[in-house]
Amino acid sequence: MGDLLVRNAPFLLAGLRATLALAGWTALFGTILAMPVALLRYLDVPVLGRACAAYIWFIRGTPLLVVLLLCYFALPALFGYHTTASAAALVGFVVFLAAYAAQDMLTGLHSVPRTLLEGGAALGLTRLQVIRLIVVPLGARIAVPALFGQYVRMFKYTSVASALGATELTGSVLLVNGRVFQPLPLLGIAAVVYLVVCLSISMLGRWAQVRLVPGVVGLSPKG
Amino acid sequence: MKRRYFLTLASLAPAFVLWPVFARADDVPDSVAAVKARGKLLAGVKMDTPPFGFLNESNEPAGFDLDILRAVAATIGVPIEFVRVTSVTRIPLLLSGNVDVVAASMTHTREREHTIDFSEDYYTGGQTLLVPKASAITGVDGLDGKRVAVQQGTTLAKNIAALAPKANVTAFRDYDAAWLALAQGRADALTGSLSILEGFAKNNDGFKIVGGLLSKEPFGVGMRHGDWAMRDAVNATLQDLWASGAYAKLYQTWFGGAPSEPIEVYPQ
Amino acid sequence: MGYRFDWNPIWHHRDQVLSGLAITIALSIVGLLGALAIGMAVGTAGAARARPLRVFAVLYVEGVRNVPLLLHIYLWFLGFSAIQLPAFLCAALGLSIYSGAYAAELFRTGLTGVPAQQSEAAAALGLRRWTILRKVIYPQAFRAIAPSLASLSSQLVKDSSLASVVAVGELAYEAGAIDADTFRTFEVYATITVLYLLLVTISSHLILRLVPTVGERSHG
Repeated sequence: MGDLLVRNAPFLLAGLRATLALAGWTALFGTILAMPVALLRYLDVPVLGRACAAYIWFIRGTPLLVVLLLCYFALPALFGYHTTASAAALVGFVVFLAAYAAQDMLTGLHSVPRTLLEGGAALGLTRLQVIRLIVVPLGARIAVPALFGQYVRMFKYTSVASALGATELTGSVLLVNGRVFQPLPLLGIAAVVYLVVCLSISMLGRWAQVRLVPGVVGLSPKG
Repeated sequence: MKRRYFLTLASLAPAFVLWPVFARADDVPDSVAAVKARGKLLAGVKMDTPPFGFLNESNEPAGFDLDILRAVAATIGVPIEFVRVTSVTRIPLLLSGNVDVVAASMTHTREREHTIDFSEDYYTGGQTLLVPKASAITGVDGLDGKRVAVQQGTTLAKNIAALAPKANVTAFRDYDAAWLALAQGRADALTGSLSILEGFAKNNDGFKIVGGLLSKEPFGVGMRHGDWAMRDAVNATLQDLWASGAYAKLYQTWFGGAPSEPIEVYPQ
Repeated sequence: MGYRFDWNPIWHHRDQVLSGLAITIALSIVGLLGALAIGMAVGTAGAARARPLRVFAVLYVEGVRNVPLLLHIYLWFLGFSAIQLPAFLCAALGLSIYSGAYAAELFRTGLTGVPAQQSEAAAALGLRRWTILRKVIYPQAFRAIAPSLASLSSQLVKDSSLASVVAVGELAYEAGAIDADTFRTFEVYATITVLYLLLVTISSHLILRLVPTVGERSHG
């Protein structure tokens, strides 16, 4: 088993790097994309708010595998644009994560107590100022734990890219297994790696929560 | 006024995220020009199908299909980047522009001609059966009620369904999965192209090839419909390889022996 | 867009679509029942007073849910290939064990949310421990976590698509087969997307309706 791992370590590490890169970029772009979606929903902007609600509903009702298949094959075929496998995967994951993250942010925004909004208005702030200065900072902090939950989930879900032929961690494990046929050690190693990274993300999330949320103790999401 | 400005900006953010991937493709594909502009050839190959496309001992992609496409990239004069495909994904990935060409032990059929274009045939194989050494199966006649593994989305799957209608056929998403099904005893037989099954049998004792050739499977390099520039480039490459004797050397390397079918060389 | 739609091939392959749908539903039901059973057992352990039970629950939940579902399925299919479980069962086991960890967390939260005085009062009335759990504690916990169970079940329906990697003939697998046959990529995936949306919506509505009624019969 040691020999198996030593010989294939560079290949498996390259797979891990691909997994980390995919997950990292997805978390970054997904969070950025989720912000305007959550805001448009929160403000209930006439057409755009509805569109964002439809987008969230659609993605949350569709399996990740199908979202990826749509981005890889179906949408390029429909609209006649060309893409690369890595770009298609990234877009699929970003669009997928953003819908869930937007929902969590929306929950965060809605958990900011009405009394704070009214207080802000009483101080003579405009509605936009109330949102910019009170609702968004507080709501974002409340949403932090849920967002890290999404990052953990997303990290595990990068394995699904292997079903479309990506050679990230799971994909490389399966390719090596096809040649050497030692599923238990290979899958075991992969499982341990996922476990360690996921627990690390969770710990990072708790640290961020402690750093960010003390100012809003007592304001927990309504669920 | 200010509020509208804020919201417009906010709603534009998704567009910025998605921008790079929404470059429109031309209606008439000329991949050779696009490949030159991009500076690399995106080549769809399998990585679980020895000896056509697989990972070698040091986990680098290798195989007959890869060497053919390396020659194509050299003809066009750009470096090559291999993209992994499977039987299910090779044509969709080609159509969606993820790859410029596909050489993935793909049988050249009339039905596929409706969807993509093919080069000249660059290899001729046939379908056969791989079974455990101790198996009593000697050919398609013995497959009634047996579990047969095959790849999803292949001519092989259609052929075996027609030849052995009483067999219990499971189509797996890629060769690896189908081969593991046989190796693990989940299937009584694996059906596939002769050279590929020989590749599995060579690396693994305990399996034998039976039943003779069930069909003739000419392989072609695939490109998008109407992509004449790419087809010309691939055909010219294949003919140059044949004329220079390089093809015979590749054939010897990967299949051990002389080519069974020549590549047609058009006059200058 | 310049794309010519052609839905005929989908209609032509409707049998495949329907059998894929049936297997997706079957897999989801089996997976959900397994997940609920595991969730109740491990969740009860997690809410127990005995420390070893709680430690076991934490280890199960963290150990299982931090490993991708895909690896769980491959583990049963490839890793434990010596026992030759059918692919459907491998996928069902993977789904049950993985979603069971999430269900356990829900049940633990639901159970700890029921005030301790209630079981003390029930014990004072002379009810046995098992009876207290079944008639007093579980029904309340079920009602409390019904919305979360609904989203868990819709997640499970979506996750069942991963069974396609081990050639279980559910919706996503059949979509690949039809696509490889007809190359009507957009039409195929649009069709199964709509079917998944329907399944997810229906399943979460069903759970929201059914779960709060659990245990109501026992109230007489």
